[in-house]
Amino acid sequence: MTQVTTTEAGRDVSSPPTEDSLELAGGRVHLLRGGKGAPVLFLHAAGGAGQWHPFHDLLSRGFEVFAPDHPGFGGSDEFPELEGVDDLVFHYLDVIERLGLERPHIVGASFGGWVAAELAVARPDLIDSLTLLGPAGLRLPAHPLADLFLMTPDQVVDALFKDPAKASVLFPGEPDVDGILAAYRDMTALARFSWHPFLNNPKLERRLHRITARTLVACPSEDKVIPVAHGARYAELIPQARFAQVEDCGHAMYFERPQEFAQVVTEFLAEAGAETQLSGASR
Amino acid sequence: MKFVFFHLMPYPYLPDDFDEKHPSPSLTFPNKFFDRELGNRLYHRYLDELEYAEKLGFDGIAVNEHHQSAYGLMPSPNLMAAALARRTERAQIMVLGNAIGVRGNPLRVAEEIAMLDHLSSGRVVSGFVRGIGWEYFAQSVNPTRSRDRFNEAHDLIIKAWTSDEPFQWVSPNYEYRYVNLWPRPVQEPHPPIYIPGAGSTETMQFVAEHGYTYMSVYAPTPLVRRWFDGHRQAVEELGMEHDPGKSAFSVPIYVAETDEKAHREGRQHIEWLFHRGLKQSFPQVYPPGYMSPGSMRGLLMSGMKPYTETSYEELLAGGYAVVGSPETVAARLSELQAQLGFGQLIGLFSIGDITAEEMNRSMELFASGVMPALRPLGVAGTVPAAS
Repeated sequence: MTQVTTTEAGRDVSSPPTEDSLELAGGRVHLLRGGKGAPVLFLHAAGGAGQWHPFHDLLSRGFEVFAPDHPGFGGSDEFPELEGVDDLVFHYLDVIERLGLERPHIVGASFGGWVAAELAVARPDLIDSLTLLGPAGLRLPAHPLADLFLMTPDQVVDALFKDPAKASVLFPGEPDVDGILAAYRDMTALARFSWHPFLNNPKLERRLHRITARTLVACPSEDKVIPVAHGARYAELIPQARFAQVEDCGHAMYFERPQEFAQVVTEFLAEAGAETQLSGASR
Repeated sequence: MKFVFFHLMPYPYLPDDFDEKHPSPSLTFPNKFFDRELGNRLYHRYLDELEYAEKLGFDGIAVNEHHQSAYGLMPSPNLMAAALARRTERAQIMVLGNAIGVRGNPLRVAEEIAMLDHLSSGRVVSGFVRGIGWEYFAQSVNPTRSRDRFNEAHDLIIKAWTSDEPFQWVSPNYEYRYVNLWPRPVQEPHPPIYIPGAGSTETMQFVAEHGYTYMSVYAPTPLVRRWFDGHRQAVEELGMEHDPGKSAFSVPIYVAETDEKAHREGRQHIEWLFHRGLKQSFPQVYPPGYMSPGSMRGLLMSGMKPYTETSYEELLAGGYAVVGSPETVAARLSELQAQLGFGQLIGLFSIGDITAEEMNRSMELFASGVMPALRPLGVAGTVPAAS
């Protein structure tokens, strides 16, 4: 990580995140938190639950980052009564309330991007800004998604990474039985929320106009899982959205290019935060 | 011993480069490889074979459900059963089974089985299965709801068959404001139910409590033995006596005049079934949520090899299949019966790319040379074989 250690003098040594949990009515949410500054709620993708990645670390240098595991993923409880992404929206409204977050920035990747967009549609007033990284959630029949559910581990690596050599970050070595079971549990939760309709809500497109927050849609240039057309469509339909592309990168996004993704997100959040402060002062 | 002739109706005409080019005959194997003319002849040949099985003395003739696959050509087993119902007179018509886990409308299954019971004048047996993993892809049904859908559909169907007043049905996956089945089935209270088991203790318990028949799936003998023992114990713990007829052993069988001839001819067909027909990736068979965490752990710890990596010799030694002369097959099945205690044998004779001639001869030799020897085994009241 030598390239990024100079972003802020005196803070070039990162501190590990704090492990935390929330007791909600339906179960326990496991989360990692770290950093200081305006609150950022990070919603993870199909993979990445319970992981504090260099990307989070970089983000936490300017913001307080909260990274909960979705229900049924990582260290969070099952929450079996939650059946779809509409339920997850209410779940995260509970999480935001329980964490006492005041107008957080919402950042979501892939599946988490879909949840973030739905959250912003439901409660546009509640969030400061919205960042969608290679988001799922739209039904675009001309641009079908790859079927991660049907892929063998080798195929998953090829689909996720522009450069499969970097996959060791996500899949370190041959997994043991517990590792396979943990991955199966994550995929089971993903399937529960998104098997059918497949990773989309057909009604979402016509609701995106409700989002009032400043929005960044950032997509990897070589996405073989969610075609870039999905991100472009989000950017087209969300009133205050801007679109950015990270070059030479696959759907693994911050797993493949952590510095680039951290930079594009951090810059956007800093801008969005500054503008919020400005408009708040002028009121 | 009760003998069931089970047909899988495979599509055997795979392209020469199938092994290299195609990861599975199911779900993604392009349907351009289904030759309309050859396929048409297959259906008629296969139905003829099922009818012939009745003439040879089999007690039941059985069909099952598979979707989007060359492994089995019966997306609708009830249609096949209907085609057989009025062409046969004595044998039970066994649907093993309807994949109620992937069906959208379980009430339709209740209606069709009730109709079949009339078409066959009370000879229908109704199996219920969850459907293989790939069928959750093929029917766009969420595999994480598989078990719930199965259980709810089962409860609804039984109630629809047995209730004599209209009722409302509300469960997490199904809501019907009016359930009022016309026709009611012939058999009272309803046709016999068969359920396949593959190690789940919940299934053993469920089958025992309802007095259903427990069927094995293709697996090594020690595993099948554990399942059958588990089912028998579940019955006995309920204070009932276990009827061996409620344990049904499923196995592919090929018989020829001599052992040498049987292996020479049969090897290719057995290999077709296990190495091509059952060629499938892990996510294809076990989509997320299809297995409970406990069952998945059991599977991973069992060390069971994929079918495609199990050689012909291992398949025979492991009890996955039985091949030989009538004497050898009778001896081997008697041995398996002594170990497993089943009173019902569900023989798969339509093995892979078997020819019509081989098939007929295999059935005939089984009926004349194997059935008589096995008939007295596994009957209620006989002393269970010592282990």
